[in-house]
Amino acid sequence: MLSGKRALKGPAKLAVPLTTFLATLALLLGIPAAGAVAADGVEGETFVIGTDTTFAPFEFRQDGELVGIDMDLLNAIAEEEGFNVEIQSLGFDAALQSLQSNQVDGVIAGMSITDERRQVFDFSDPYFESGIQMAVAENNDDVAGYEDLRGKRVAVKTGTEGQTFAESIKDQYGFEVVAFAQSAQMYDDVKAGGSVAVFDDYPVLAYGVASGNGLKTVTEKEAGSSYGFAVNKGASPELLTAFNDGLADLKASGEYDEILDTYLESGAKDSSFWSLITDNGPAFAKGMGLTLLATALSLLFALVLGVFFGFLKVGSSKILRGIATVYVSIFRGTPVLVQAFFFYFGLPQLIGQPVDVLTAGVLTLSLNAGAYMTEIVRGGIQSVDPGQMEAARSLGLGYGKTMQKVIIPQAIKIMTPSFINQFVITLKDTSLLAVIGFAELTYQGQQIYAVNFRTAEVLLIVAALYFIVITLLTKLADVLDKRFNK
Amino acid sequence: MSKIQTIGLRKSYGTNEVLKGLDVSVAEGEVVCVIGPSGSGKSTFLRCLNKLEDITGGTVMVDGFDLTDPKVNLNEVRQHIGMVFQHFNLFPHMSVLDNIMLAPAQLKKAPKAEVRKTALALLERVGLADKADARPAQLSGGQKQRVAIARALAMQPDIMLFDEATSALDPEMVGEVLQVIRDLAREGMTMVVVTHEMGFAREVADRVIFMADGHIVEENTPELLFGSPQAPRLQDFLAKVL
Repeated sequence: MLSGKRALKGPAKLAVPLTTFLATLALLLGIPAAGAVAADGVEGETFVIGTDTTFAPFEFRQDGELVGIDMDLLNAIAEEEGFNVEIQSLGFDAALQSLQSNQVDGVIAGMSITDERRQVFDFSDPYFESGIQMAVAENNDDVAGYEDLRGKRVAVKTGTEGQTFAESIKDQYGFEVVAFAQSAQMYDDVKAGGSVAVFDDYPVLAYGVASGNGLKTVTEKEAGSSYGFAVNKGASPELLTAFNDGLADLKASGEYDEILDTYLESGAKDSSFWSLITDNGPAFAKGMGLTLLATALSLLFALVLGVFFGFLKVGSSKILRGIATVYVSIFRGTPVLVQAFFFYFGLPQLIGQPVDVLTAGVLTLSLNAGAYMTEIVRGGIQSVDPGQMEAARSLGLGYGKTMQKVIIPQAIKIMTPSFINQFVITLKDTSLLAVIGFAELTYQGQQIYAVNFRTAEVLLIVAALYFIVITLLTKLADVLDKRFNK
Repeated sequence: MSKIQTIGLRKSYGTNEVLKGLDVSVAEGEVVCVIGPSGSGKSTFLRCLNKLEDITGGTVMVDGFDLTDPKVNLNEVRQHIGMVFQHFNLFPHMSVLDNIMLAPAQLKKAPKAEVRKTALALLERVGLADKADARPAQLSGGQKQRVAIARALAMQPDIMLFDEATSALDPEMVGEVLQVIRDLAREGMTMVVVTHEMGFAREVADRVIFMADGHIVEENTPELLFGSPQAPRLQDFLAKVL
């Protein structure tokens, strides 16, 4: 993944204007883009492309695979132009932030081309003509147009054209707008009666209605915006050119229309509760695997941090105690969600290096749990009878030997229940990493119900999986505790 | 030459001075008992003799080492001073034998088998050879304190400090512990014994020190101190405890 980026930032930069010029020329003259000229800049390169987590039908997961109009188009174009893509499913906002901090080379996420965004990004030719449409609950016959919205609440997705459009007419029609982070959430809000209608891009609604999301569209689509593929301003013109060339080819060959039809005419398959589990088994398994991986790594590092800072806290040096106290205060005194955002989005800006999502997630949970571990270790050591230290020291044993042979073994026994407790907390905290696009269990659940709109069932499955794993591991820990801490 | 000598020993906790300049000298093989009302500073005094307490002022010489000198290796000096505590402070996660073997196994170069042999001999000496593999929690109070004495003897110290060693015991167990201490006295161990057992002090001590309010009020042979106490404070104290 780095090779593509290095090439963009390194000496290859000098060659860019010429390649662009030639590629543009080739395009203007109608020369087939697969020719040697256009391929020069990108052939064999690998680009990291950020996308939304779920923006069906543009990107969503089916049987664990990321599919959708964006994905199929991008893959077809990449194949056509001979470059490779590595998709990072980050979420819309996260993808744009990643692009700005150069974590990814490009973003394709059903993104409308706006003047505002043009200031920050370079866009490809439009690959989809969208437009805003309004939908209401299937059984709602009272709301058939904007006039019927007076005094009601309308759901939109944060930062979308739908939101902009709703805001632009809300005073005229007298309704209130509430924004959600994910499509499935706003559909559920409408079905639950919190809002009466949603404003969303017509392809998204069309796909959702076709999949049986419980809504129906009631207005014609507004003349809308165009979707484009974006790169950082001035960063990779050759990637844009390749995208445009490939898109033109797909349109010419008819493959473009085939891809659109695949998603807009048919929705997601209907299935039983059991097949909901079996169909998504690989996704749940992968999610649980990553949940356990992040938990294990985080607890390991947290233990090291906790022991280190815990010892500083019981030590005699005021300065070292102060350092440990500051560490604990910072990580106990700020929300773990803010920490996760900081390590994933903030840290790369500070160090000028991308931080991958597992690293950022483990860093967050390690430092967070480490702060609590520090207090557990301090509490454990301090709750050992001071007479134990005096007895050992009076025999002539040094501080270190006394700690090792007398205090620590007793402290571990005292600490074990708290360790098990922290383990459970950290395992559950991994679900927060879904917000930075870490593909753990909760994230997988979000992906699944975003496509099939069966929120309640999927969340029940996710909760049950957490419950089972936590119960089993807690039992195991108790058995080990009894065995070794007699 | 004195085995233990304190000159102007002072100890304060913040503004509260609990030892107000003590001059004490203990000769080799001497058994000194320290008595006095609670809060008189007798335990604090004892704990200054192996520097479990930081010393605020004055000097404490033990075996020719000045404990207030920061260059003195305290761990080295403490190996020659055994200490027995009121609440035993046995290591609960180890067997009785491991309690006794811990210090010699860690600090002596001797082979493990030899350390073990010595530890078993010590257990034999305090009458608990059959308890080698027991955990401290399985022992009675008197047995725990006898193990604690064996543990304190494991580094073969030439000084023993007893800090109210029988105060936490049920009355019927006091005798077995005092018997072990009595045997040690007879063998010529230098000992400082903080105690509430007046009869024991009278019987075993070469000299008795009476402390009150951080001062040494009176010191004398047991016969004279108990027989004809001079200070009103001591008379008052003895009237209450005897």
